[in-house]
Amino acid sequence: MHKRFLLFASFIVILAFFLFFDLVGDWGRLSGGWGNLVIFFEESLWPPNWSVLEAQSYPVCDARFEIFCSVAWLGIVETLKIAFVATIFGFLISVPLSVMAASNLSSPYVALPARVLLAGMRSLPSIIWAVLFMIIFDVGALAGVFAMTFYTVGYLGKLQFESLEGIKNAPLEAAKATGMSHFETAWLVAIPESANNLLSHVLFMFEYNVRHGSVVGLVGAGGIGLYLNTYLKLAQYDKVVALLIIIFVVVVIIDFISMALRSAVNEEGDVERPTWSSLFLPAAFTSSNHPTPIKRIDGKESE
Amino acid sequence: MEEELAHLHDVSIGYVEPLVHDITIEIVAGDVIAILGPSGIGKTTLLRTIAGLVRPLTGEVELGVNPRGGLGYIPQRLGLVGNLSVRSNVEMGARVRLSKWHPPFLPLPQELDDEVNTCLEELGIYHLADQPVRILSGGQQRRVATARTIAQAPKLLLADEFLGELDDDNVEIVMNAVQQVINKQNSALVMVEHHEELARQVANRIWKITDGRLVEEV
Repeated sequence: MHKRFLLFASFIVILAFFLFFDLVGDWGRLSGGWGNLVIFFEESLWPPNWSVLEAQSYPVCDARFEIFCSVAWLGIVETLKIAFVATIFGFLISVPLSVMAASNLSSPYVALPARVLLAGMRSLPSIIWAVLFMIIFDVGALAGVFAMTFYTVGYLGKLQFESLEGIKNAPLEAAKATGMSHFETAWLVAIPESANNLLSHVLFMFEYNVRHGSVVGLVGAGGIGLYLNTYLKLAQYDKVVALLIIIFVVVVIIDFISMALRSAVNEEGDVERPTWSSLFLPAAFTSSNHPTPIKRIDGKESE
Repeated sequence: MEEELAHLHDVSIGYVEPLVHDITIEIVAGDVIAILGPSGIGKTTLLRTIAGLVRPLTGEVELGVNPRGGLGYIPQRLGLVGNLSVRSNVEMGARVRLSKWHPPFLPLPQELDDEVNTCLEELGIYHLADQPVRILSGGQQRRVATARTIAQAPKLLLADEFLGELDDDNVEIVMNAVQQVINKQNSALVMVEHHEELARQVANRIWKITDGRLVEEV
């Protein structure tokens, strides 16, 4: 069994390498690529142009601090607004759909169409949704909100129905035996029972939407991505780098807040409170800081 | 004439292979029935079959009560919602006495709310009412599960090892509360119990499962 598994695993790895070489095709065209990157980096990307933190010349800035009228501030705030609205709207729509899609709460006749609907919403990337909604709403934040709401429903719905399917059977059986309706079972038993997971998924989705907000913005759906797109078109790559650094910092902050909140709602505490070392160092360097020593089968604590 | 609450006609129970054959029994108001037998013999399956959670392999189960409100069921793992408070769990029992169209997000009517308080007091868990169930001890959780079922005021109460982790004092509290419901509602209790001595103390009928047959001790 073990030998057969090793053979199978080796085959998969070799297949991956074979496909990689097939995809590359001509290795000769890669020559000089690294040098090109260095030139591009030195001439166009670095140093970042921090003028993105200065107030725009138009409209006239009447804010107390100049940064509040800057491209970076306006863009990131709009991205956060889009991500927040899309996460909340997506959550409100995905909860009933995920209850319908959960096989332990609904009949297959309801669960299957609900799953197909969720899969359909998930199968189109948010950037494609953004293009579709821009046709309806024109360039701007509204297209971004709708695009990300649709994608959130598909993605969050899947996470949530899997979580609902994972709840213990005993509370559902007690509800069924006592004649509770499907709605009562979902509202009073299933949703509260998986509430920690649902909340954790919502926080994850918000974090995801902030990261993705810059991508949908690239096609004109509002947020900081809209400014990124403008600078890319004007070949102002130093400003692009400055915006990317700002996005990175915001995402790291949100990641911290989100992980702290998720570990607070997670009963088992399997989402560790993040530390700087856990974010930037490989797991092997940080696992010794794990608060719970790992018990071996013989009862001794592991080294 | 005694009120018949459930009747099993030539029922065989099990999942793939039958565990117990040819069960023909009736449950009437006032019964306190203990099902005894070694582990894995089909006691829980019999209870689940009466509760309508498992279809009998052959035969027919007739219930004389409406499952909504009329049938109380305490599974072996209690079936409580750990994230909700003790009160919310007990309210769930009272809620099935209302129409299934009563929105579950609306508060209970005052008289049912009062009954929930009475159940909490009877089971000695009123002081825990606002605590989430998941932080309670096993014994306390058993009392919550009993309170939830009592709040339902069922005609037929099915309980799977619900006295298991309770000490003598708590067995008395729980059985007193159950007995009050039986007397008041003219209902019946069918329980699976591992502790034979305890079962014989509280039950007035004993069903034993041996060699794939259900036998009633006379």
